[in-house]
Amino acid sequence: MILKIAWRNIWRSKVRSFIVLTSIAIGIWAGLLIIGFSFGMNNERTAAAIGSTLGHSQVHSEAFLEEPTSAATIGDAEVVAALQDSLLSAPYVTGVSVRGVMMGMVSAPKSARGARMIAVDPESERENSTLPSTIIEGDFFETKTRNSVVIGAQLAEKLGVGLRKKVVLTFQDGEGNISRASFRITGIYRTLNSTWDELNIYIKRSDLKKTIGKDLVHELMVRYDETEGTEEKTAELAQMLPQGLQILSWKRNSPELGYADDMMGIMLVLVLGIIMMALLFGIVNNMLMAILERRRELGMLMAVGMNKRKLFVMILVETLMLGFVGGPIGIVLGDLSTRAMMGIGIDLTSKKEGLANLGVQSVIYPEIVPEYYIIVAIMVVLTALIAALYPAFKALKLNPVQAIRGE
Amino acid sequence: MSKPVIKVKDLHKIYDGAVPVKAVNGIDLTITEGEFTALKGPSGCGKTTLLNMLGGLDAPTSGAIEVGGVDITKLSQNELIDFRLRNIGFVFQAYNLIPVLSATENVSFIMLLQNRPKEEREQRARQLLQSVGLTGKEDKRPGQLSGGQQQRVAVARALASKPQFVLADEPTANLDSESTANLLDIMLKLNKEEGMTFVFATHDDRVISKARRVVAVSDGKIVSDTTK
Repeated sequence: MILKIAWRNIWRSKVRSFIVLTSIAIGIWAGLLIIGFSFGMNNERTAAAIGSTLGHSQVHSEAFLEEPTSAATIGDAEVVAALQDSLLSAPYVTGVSVRGVMMGMVSAPKSARGARMIAVDPESERENSTLPSTIIEGDFFETKTRNSVVIGAQLAEKLGVGLRKKVVLTFQDGEGNISRASFRITGIYRTLNSTWDELNIYIKRSDLKKTIGKDLVHELMVRYDETEGTEEKTAELAQMLPQGLQILSWKRNSPELGYADDMMGIMLVLVLGIIMMALLFGIVNNMLMAILERRRELGMLMAVGMNKRKLFVMILVETLMLGFVGGPIGIVLGDLSTRAMMGIGIDLTSKKEGLANLGVQSVIYPEIVPEYYIIVAIMVVLTALIAALYPAFKALKLNPVQAIRGE
Repeated sequence: MSKPVIKVKDLHKIYDGAVPVKAVNGIDLTITEGEFTALKGPSGCGKTTLLNMLGGLDAPTSGAIEVGGVDITKLSQNELIDFRLRNIGFVFQAYNLIPVLSATENVSFIMLLQNRPKEEREQRARQLLQSVGLTGKEDKRPGQLSGGQQQRVAVARALASKPQFVLADEPTANLDSESTANLLDIMLKLNKEEGMTFVFATHDDRVISKARRVVAVSDGKIVSDTTK
């Protein structure tokens, strides 16, 4: 009967209860939409970075991680081939790309800038990375031109160069000697990450070998079957590596991306916390009003023998019921809205450039994150419980004689 | 000889304040089983304070109140709540029914607090509502009943816990003459047929005229005690 009383009491002041229930539902709906939006944006950025540039993990020599010099290679061709085979033997490894990575300078007739030169096997990159699909002009080493280079759109703009123009690359060879060579731009790419595009240029390993007379391998980019479980898979692969080499997951290779991923969970719980805090005050206010209006009734209940525990439980149940009604409505609305948005996306074209700096597309597709539904449900119950405490204690302090008199 | 259900000895109640008020000033009173007693007196004479203390709702400044052999002034707050639940029925001036519950539910709610089984609760509630003349109104909520009918539900509720006695504070104050007469007839019938003890705090002559014992209170003291 306590449940029946609680349920009927909620509807005693229909307008007030409707306002509280609506605010609970809207708060949860907004929270779930923010969660879906944030996860969509973050996962899109992460997937793009993993796909086009980072891979799921990368192998480097420890010396390279300390200081990325040209001399800090993984090893000779034999070592690299053996390592590649060993990594590919893991069931979840779908591809390994071999790369040379050197810091240097790219000079155009009008301008020069620092750049990171990534020497790749075009075929392997096509198989293991989405970078070739980001080409906006020219191609990704498809034409058999010697000393061809693929540069980012941002860098091309800064250098004032375009397709088929020549640039001079300056870098150190494995012995520390300065090498320079002229390269022709055969492709311009644009990833979602404009910062990456401004720094990184791609050349063929075969061209690098001809230029400096030696094959330099600094990096093995490893792709897994899926991003889920990256840390565990990376830790397992680390066991296969010879001494002096390290494998780091994308989170550790790109700390800002990993940090954003880790922080997002915390930020979302904080956002939900703020929403719940606002709801808490709404519920407390509603319940205090309800108790004030029902002083006589509560006084009577205490007078006729309702003990404090039962009175406390009655108010607790009534408050929880607000959460139990408003919460599911908000969750259903949030789920339906997110699903609708998943199909059409949220168009933020007006913020395109800012989003590109964050490595995100201008249309965001929210994602459903079921575990957050549970978190939201728990938070609603906790909020309702906390909100019930003050009004319930307030009710317990009523003096039955005064309350019955309406004092 | 009937056994006493309430024994009050040298009861005092002083309300502290800038000027302390002696609401009850040395009352000795014994109520025996089956009485139909009215505590009468003008407003502020101390009759409601006395009634509240008899019901364990207010604590005396000094003195003893024995209900069924138990000195209720010695009970803790929690013990008092339980004692009220099992031994005392209350009827209030403003009915104080739970508006979201039907007449039957209002009556059976007290039995729910006593953890009685559902069938017993419902059966007794319907039986009590029948005895106060509310057959056919069992499923009506207080808002759908007249003042007199609501007060009759309140009487049924007071009896639901099978108390030793019923305390009624100005039960007819909000009722018209017809409803008052009906209510009093019902309470007299319950008193005669079931031996239920009723104690009223009232200044309503219609109630006083029906009471078999009238205790007049003035300035916190009993000034007369007459049995018809």
